[in-house]
Order: sequence, then structure tokens, then C-alpha cells
Amino acid sequence: MNTINTIEVKELTKIFNGDVKAVDGISFNVKEGEILGFLGPNGAGKTTTLNMLSTLLRPTSGTATVNGHDILTEPDAVRRSIGYVFQDTTLDIELTGRENLDFHGRLYGLERNTRQQRTKEVLELVQLTERADNFVKTYSGGMKRRLEIARGLLHHPKVLFLDEPTLGLDPQTRRSIWEHILHLNQEKNITVILTTHYTEEADYLSKRILIIDFGKVVVLDTPDNLKARLEGDVVTLLFKDPAAIESFRPLLENKDWIRRINVVTSGNNYAAMSRMMQTMPRMPSNIGMGGAMPEMDSINIEGKRTIPEQVQQKSEQDIADKNLQFGGETCSKCLNLLVDKGGHRIPEIVKLADESGIILDSVELRKPSLDDVFLSVTGRNIREEEGSFIDMVRRHRIMQQARGRRVRG
Amino acid sequence: MIWCGVTESCNKPVDGGSEVKLTKWKVKHEMVQPLSGQAIYVVLLRELKRYWRAKARVISSVAQSIFFLAIFGLGLGGFIGGFGGINYLSYMAPGVIGMGLLFGSVFSGVSVIFDRQFGFMKEMLVAPVSRTSIILGKILGGATTATIQGIILMAIAGIMGAFTPSFAFVAGAFAAIGAMLLITSGFVGLGVAIGSTLNDFHAFQLLSTFVMWPMFMLSGVFFPIDVAPLPLQVAMLCDPMFYGVELLRWCLLGAGSPLLGSLGWLISLGVVTVFDALMVGLGTCLFSRAQI
Repeated sequence: MNTINTIEVKELTKIFNGDVKAVDGISFNVKEGEILGFLGPNGAGKTTTLNMLSTLLRPTSGTATVNGHDILTEPDAVRRSIGYVFQDTTLDIELTGRENLDFHGRLYGLERNTRQQRTKEVLELVQLTERADNFVKTYSGGMKRRLEIARGLLHHPKVLFLDEPTLGLDPQTRRSIWEHILHLNQEKNITVILTTHYTEEADYLSKRILIIDFGKVVVLDTPDNLKARLEGDVVTLLFKDPAAIESFRPLLENKDWIRRINVVTSGNNYAAMSRMMQTMPRMPSNIGMGGAMPEMDSINIEGKRTIPEQVQQKSEQDIADKNLQFGGETCSKCLNLLVDKGGHRIPEIVKLADESGIILDSVELRKPSLDDVFLSVTGRNIREEEGSFIDMVRRHRIMQQARGRRVRG
Repeated sequence: MIWCGVTESCNKPVDGGSEVKLTKWKVKHEMVQPLSGQAIYVVLLRELKRYWRAKARVISSVAQSIFFLAIFGLGLGGFIGGFGGINYLSYMAPGVIGMGLLFGSVFSGVSVIFDRQFGFMKEMLVAPVSRTSIILGKILGGATTATIQGIILMAIAGIMGAFTPSFAFVAGAFAAIGAMLLITSGFVGLGVAIGSTLNDFHAFQLLSTFVMWPMFMLSGVFFPIDVAPLPLQVAMLCDPMFYGVELLRWCLLGAGSPLLGSLGWLISLGVVTVFDALMVGLGTCLFSRAQI
């Protein structure tokens, strides 16, 4: 196992306008050849951190080294060591793919022969050789993304920053980009930091995951260790009549083998979500994806984290509203239990439901996913867009600040 | 590698929270930015490619100038005759060429807005090259494309009979090309300065109405400064484009405005050069502190 730290971050902080803490004293190391996943909701401080590490933003305090170079004193050496694939496309669509690569190569001072050789290499790597001489404006979203990744590799960086690499892409393209990233990491031993708010992406790609929320490191560990922390299984109960949840939940709350109970709408698990999509091919247009996003409230049996009461009430209200909108779709509301030895407890749960005259539609047993981990460490669901009002305002402010910020020259 | 400290005063962090205490050496390192020839060249090359591919832009700007020359030059010229022994079409030609230069160069400078909007700016800013290199490439590129436009207009004006073919004219035409590069550099700088300050392209209309058109109309394209009333004369003397057009007129026709006298070309050259230095400096400065 390699022990060289390619990136060392010490107490990195970014405060916008004197009071908005976008990144709040984070410290971590990334080992050579590692893929580190930055997982967090929008506005958590992921991009701001990457911008500081890439010397585009000056930290308010703290510092970091990238490939042994200090971001404050050796910005040029840092820039030479990194490839940065930004969240939004940064290609010149009026140029061809090859011209975009050529531009990049010259900007990084590569000689003609090296440039041509590497252009050929990276185009093959991302399978764009045939389209290289077409204008980028004729490319699909996935092709643009692949070209950007190719471009980020042209100058043979030691470190690759990928900011939401698969945002807005279809599942097949996403899968193929994942394979490219893994391939690069294994073949060329490139250290990768990727930011994402897709837990399955972080799970699939990362050796370690850093969960970041409100600018702070919440937890940093391997995906397996993170999931092992939850010790137990997730049992999801779907009811014939969603209203039964309220009468059933109190019966479960006094069971010591249940660690946590969550009411989830629209499913925070993909199974429930995709089922819903299948049974409802056309969603009402006024709901859009926002309506399909899960809403949850959580009661922690261990009492470590509780959601403020007003938020809980708000969620309940939303749930009620959404049930109406979804026309009483059965899986739009289900009960998520974190249970010790879930398989053994299912008969007990079913018996309990039978005895109280509640009809279960289906019972699902699975190992905890990173979604569940995120839920347990932050007390919120990662895809929850609506949070509390104050959270929302705060995130909005940070995002605005981060976007409209001067970058260092 | 040349070392240059042009943006020294601009590199101070503008965000309030700069508690980072930098040692003297670190500060110096940040300020002194190496210029990279290849970076300047590649940004210039991109400008040329984009210009070459935007055929509609080239055609519309050339056509606009032809309309001016044909309708005003020939139409109004038949009525006015000319000024100081120069027929009206010939008198107008340097001004119309100047119009092409002015609009072409300011807009290519302002295109930094588009680079920012469409994200390409980040690609340039995260590269290990200084912003000064990027902006110099942009200015050289914008000046080159606007000058190409000016050469096309010069040829068209020639075909329409604005210039008397002679050995002296050929020499003058080459001098004019040099003058065009000089004039346009300053205006690209102005465009970059404006583009770095404004944040959206809705301001384009305002820019066009309140900056470009007055500059064009006050440049002495339609009438000589001598025939204008005093307030207008003052306004014209404040317009940098006036000196640009004067310079072109000296190059192409061998004569200038009597108001500036026989050394008018030297005065104009001086003003244009000073304007260049100021605008390139201002453009670089504002670009360096611009937001992405």
C-alpha cells in the first residue's frame, strides 16, 4: 500500500464576504493513486474546495499541498500538476474536438510532437477519434464530457479533479464515464478527487469517501467501513394504505432491535423510485423531478440526532400534499427501518402487522447503502432539495458567492 | 520567457477575507507573472479561427460599410462635392474603414463576456499561464482580425474609386495597415475592459448606443472638424477614434484636417499610441480582477 500523500489539506477555510463560511477548516490527505469521493449536497462546499486546491480561489486561511507544491506559494507548479474537469462545460464549441485539445496542449507548453502523440492517445482513450474533427457544437452531452476528461489528461497531470463528472447524463453514458475514470486511475495511477451528490457514484468509484456538509468534513472513510458503521440491515415496508404508517409506527418504536425508523416518500431507495417511474410513465408536469425527490423525516431511537419539530411538521405536510398529487400511489410513502439481523426480524414485523390488522404490500430487505450512511451522519437525505428554509437560503447564498467570485490570476 | 509586472496593482485580493499573511517573497512571486509566447500565440490563433468561421459577421460588417460608401459617399457626395480638394467618397473612405476597425475591435474585446458565459474562460484561467499572456493574446488576436476587416474595406473603397492609384498610395496603404493594428489594439483593450466589468450581454445594446456610435460619428467620418461648431469640435477632439481616422486619412490620402496642421499625423500617432497604452493597461488590469 502506498503511503505518499499526493494532496495534503490543512485547515482550509473560505469565507465569502466576511460571514458566509463556504468551507470551514477542513483537513484531509489523499494518497497517491487514490480516488477520493467528495460527497455532499449542493452548496456543501465541494466546488469551493476544488477551486482552492486548483489555485483559482485564494483560501481565507489554511493551506494545502498538491503533488508536493503549496497552493499559496507555487500556484504555477500546482496548476501544472492538475487536470480539472469543471462542473459546467468549458469547451469552445466553435472549435473541433482536436482543436480544443490542441489549444490545451499549447497552453500547457507541450511541444508539437508530444502534443500530437498525446492528442491521439487521449482521443482513443475516450473513444472520440472518429469525431475528433467535428465541431464540438455537434457533440452530445456525454461526448462533451468525455472530451473534457480527455483534455484534462493531455498534460499528464498527477491529480485529476472531476467536479460532478456525470451530472445530467443518462445512465449508459454515466456508466461508461465511470469505467473511463477507473481505467485511468488503474492504468496511469492518477490520483482523483471527484465531487458528486450521487451516492452510488461515490460508492462505485471511490476508495475513500469524504462526506462534506456545510463546509465541514463530517466523515472520511472507505465505502465499506461507512456502511459497516450502520451495522444492520435496511428493511423497507410498503403498505396497501399509506395512512397505516402512522398507526404502525408507534408499535415499532419500542422494539430494541430497531435502530432507526424513517418515513420515506417516493422512496429514498432506487428500487422504490424506479418502480414508481415504471408504474407512472407520465408524471404530472407541475411536479417534475422535484416531486419525485424523496422527502423524509427521521426519528432516531438512539436519540443522537433529531430533526427539529417544525421541519418534521413541514415534511409531514409535504408528504400529505405529494400523496394527493401522486394519486395515492402505494410506494410513494414507505417505512424504512434499520434493523439488527433484518432477515430474522421480518417474520416478527409481518406478524405484528397482521395482529394489528395492517396490510403490508411488500417487504424489502437490503444492506445499508451510502444513502443510508449519509442519512445517519448528517440527519438529512442527500437528495433532499428542500431542507429547512434557513439551510436553503444559506446554500443559495454560498452557491451565488462561489459562482460570482474573482479567481486568482 | 519574459518577466513582466503589468498587473502588479491588480493582483491584490479584492475579497475582504484575506487574512492570509504572505511573506514578501510570496507576494512578489504572485505579482511577477511570466509571459508565455505559446499561450499568447494560441489565444491569438483561436481568435483568428473563430473570426474565419463566423462568415456572417464578416459579410454583414463589410456590407454595412459598402452601404455607407455607396449611399453616403456617392449620393451625398454628388451634392456636397468634397472638402479641401478631396472628393466626398475619398474623404469618407478612411472614416468608413475606421468604423469597421472600431466595431470589430471593441466587439472582439467584449467577447470575454461570452468566454465567461460559456465557460471557456475557466479552461484558460486554470492553465499554468498568466492572465497577462491570455489578455495579450486576446488583444493581438482582436487587433489582427479587425485589421483584416480594415484591409478588406480598404480594397473595396479602392475598387469604388476612392483612392488614386500611385506609388505613393501603395506605400501609404502599407502604412495604413500598420496604423490599423495600432488603432485596433487600443479598442480591443477598451472592449476587454468593458467586457470584464459588465456581466451580461444585455448591456451590448447600451454599449453600442452610448459608446460605439458616438465614437464613430464624432470621428470626422462624415464632415471635417473645421466646419463643426465649437462644442462639437471639443467633443470630436475628445474622441480617440477621431485621431485614428485622421491617421488613416494621412496614410491613404496624404492630407489631414487643417485644424491639427501639417504635423497632424504626428499628433494623431501620439494620441493613438497613448490611448493604446492606457487601454491595454486598463483591459489587462480589469481582466485580471474579473470574476468567472
